[in-house]
Amino acid sequence: MDRRRRRTGALTLILVAGAWAAMAADPGPPLRAMRWMSPEANLRNALSETPTECLRPPQAPRAAQAVRIGRAAFRTPLLLGGQAARAGLTCESCHRAGRGNPDFQFPGASGAPGTADVTLSLFSSHRGNGVHDPRPIPDLSGTRTALKVAPKELPDFIRGLIVEEFDGPEPPAAVLEGLVAYVSALDPAACPHAPSTPVTLATTMADARLAVAAAGTALAEGDPSTANLMIAAARAQLGLIDERYAAFPDDRARLRRADADLASLQAAIRERRPDAAAQLAGSTGGLTALETRLARREPASLFNPEQLARAANRRLPPRAS
Amino acid sequence: MSLYKSLLIAGLIAGLSTASALAAGGGGGGVGGGGEMPSASAPRYDPAEEYAKAVKALQARDYKTAARAAGNVTTAAPKNLDGWRLLGIAQAGAENWKGARRAYERAVKLAPDDLPSRGGLALSLANLKDPKAQAELDWLKARSGSCGAGCDPAMLKAMTADVERAMAGAAPGPRASRTSDALIFASDRGDHAYGAAVSLINERRYDEALASLEKARLAFGPHPDVLTYQGYTWRKLGELEKAEAYYRQALAIAPNHLGATEYYGELKVERGDLAGARLMLAKLDLNCAFACAEAEELRRWIDAGGEPGR
Repeated sequence: MDRRRRRTGALTLILVAGAWAAMAADPGPPLRAMRWMSPEANLRNALSETPTECLRPPQAPRAAQAVRIGRAAFRTPLLLGGQAARAGLTCESCHRAGRGNPDFQFPGASGAPGTADVTLSLFSSHRGNGVHDPRPIPDLSGTRTALKVAPKELPDFIRGLIVEEFDGPEPPAAVLEGLVAYVSALDPAACPHAPSTPVTLATTMADARLAVAAAGTALAEGDPSTANLMIAAARAQLGLIDERYAAFPDDRARLRRADADLASLQAAIRERRPDAAAQLAGSTGGLTALETRLARREPASLFNPEQLARAANRRLPPRAS
Repeated sequence: MSLYKSLLIAGLIAGLSTASALAAGGGGGGVGGGGEMPSASAPRYDPAEEYAKAVKALQARDYKTAARAAGNVTTAAPKNLDGWRLLGIAQAGAENWKGARRAYERAVKLAPDDLPSRGGLALSLANLKDPKAQAELDWLKARSGSCGAGCDPAMLKAMTADVERAMAGAAPGPRASRTSDALIFASDRGDHAYGAAVSLINERRYDEALASLEKARLAFGPHPDVLTYQGYTWRKLGELEKAEAYYRQALAIAPNHLGATEYYGELKVERGDLAGARLMLAKLDLNCAFACAEAEELRRWIDAGGEPGR
C-alpha cells in the first residue's frame, strides 16, 4: 500500500507540467522540451545551447551509415512508444547530444533534476515496479565502466529500453544496430574543448538533412522500415524548428508543407512506389531551400536566446524568490 | 461559513487549477452571427471549459453562475453524465431542489448505477418530500452490501446519512450536516487520478483504472482525454460498445482528438472493420504534423489486422 501511495503521489504533478502533449488544452510552454525541464533550470541557456557531442564517427562507410541511423533514431519520439512517444520524449530528452541532462525533471518520473525512474508504469506496461525510484541519468559519453553495460550486452539492453521500458515497437534491425553503433561511438576522448554549442536553425536543419540522407541509403539497401523511421526523424526536427517560429505563420506554413512532403514520401515508401527514391533524393535540396528562407527571421525566432528568454518568462509562472 | 460549503469548496479546489488549464482547447466556439443559418450562429460551448467555469463558480459559492455554466455543459454534451451531475450539484447548492431533481433524473437515466447521481436524486426527492425518496434510499442501502470496484464506501455512507436526515425532516438543511457532495469532489485530485489511471491501465488493473478515471471526470468534466481513456479501458475489458460510446463522446467534443481517433480506429480493427479503421488513420495522417505516434500505432494495427505482436 505504501509503495502504491508513493508512486501515485509522485504522479500527482504529471498533468500540471503538461507532459501530456495530446491533451486538448492550454497550448503549453513555447518549446515542448520545457515540459520536462526543472523549474530551477536556466531555460534560456539550457535550450539555446546543447552540450557538445563526443562522437568519434567510424571511417568505414557501412559503420558510418549505422551511426547516422542511430543518431537520428536517438532523436526521434517515434522510436519509443506508448506515453513517452505521445509526450514527445526521445532518447535525447534525457541524454542531450549523447551526454546527460542535469535539467531533466519529468514530473512524476523524476526526483531531483537529472534523474528518471526507468521502472515506471506510466511509460511501461512491462517494467513498472510500483516504486518511485528515480536514478541519476548517466552521461553516455562518459567512461564505459560508469555505464555498467558491457559492449556485448548493449544490443539487448537498448532493445529492452525501447520495447519494454517505453513500450515501443520492435525496432528494425538496422535501427537497433545503428543505436548500438551510435552509443558505442560516443567517447569521452572525442569531446570537443567547448562544453556546449548553440542550438540554431542550421544545426537543427542539418540533423533533418542527415536523417533524410540516412533514409536514402536505407531505401537503396532495400530497408523501407528504417527509411521511414529516418524520415520520421527528419520530420521531428522540422517540428523542433516549427515551435521556434510560432510568431511567423507564413514560415510555419512552409515548414508544414515540407513536413507534408515528407509524409507523402513515407506513404510512397510504404506503398513501394517506384518514384520514392527520386522523391527522397530531392528532399535534401528542398530542406536547404527552406532553411535559406527561414534564416531571414532566425534572429526574431526562438533560436535567438533573448527571444527565447522572453517567451519562456511569459509562459512560466513567476519563480519563488 | 457552513461546514458543507467549506467541504465543497475544499474539494473543488483540488481539481480546479488543472481543470481550467485543460479546458482551453476542447472545441467549443462562441456566438457567431451575420449571414449564417440560425444553427450556425447559436451559442456553442466547450463543455470542458464550461465545466471548469461551473466548478470555479461553485468554489465561489455562486450557485446561479454554476448552474448556468453546468447547463451549458448539458447543452454542449447532452448525453454526457458529468454535466447533468454537476448541474444537479449546483442546483442543490442553490437549494433549487426541483431543478436538482430534474438534473439528477437525467443523470440517472444516462447512468443508472452512478452513485453520486443516485445519491443526489435521493436527496432532492427527500427535500421535496417526494415519497419516491424512499425507493432511492433503499437503492443506496442495497448498494452498501455490494460496494465493489468503482464504488466509494465513504461516499455511499455519507449520502445515505444525508438522505435519512432530510427524510427525517431536516430538509432543506442544515447544510452543515451534508457531506456527500463534498466527498464527490474531494475524493481525489483530477490530475493525480488521471496519471494514476494511465499507470493502472499499463498494469492491466482495469477496474481500478476506471475508478480513477471516474475521479478525474469529477474534476475535469467531459474532457476528451479522460473520455478517451475510459473508452480504452472498457475496450481492454472487452466491452466494445461501451468503449465506442466513450470514443464518440470524446470526438464529439474534440473532433480531431488524436488519441480518441487512434483508439477508435483500433476498435474498428478489432471488429474487423478495416475500412473504418483506415478512415480514422487518414484523419490522423491529415492532423498529425511532424509525425505522431498515434498515426503510426494505428497503422501497425491495420497492417497486423489486430494488436501488433499478438
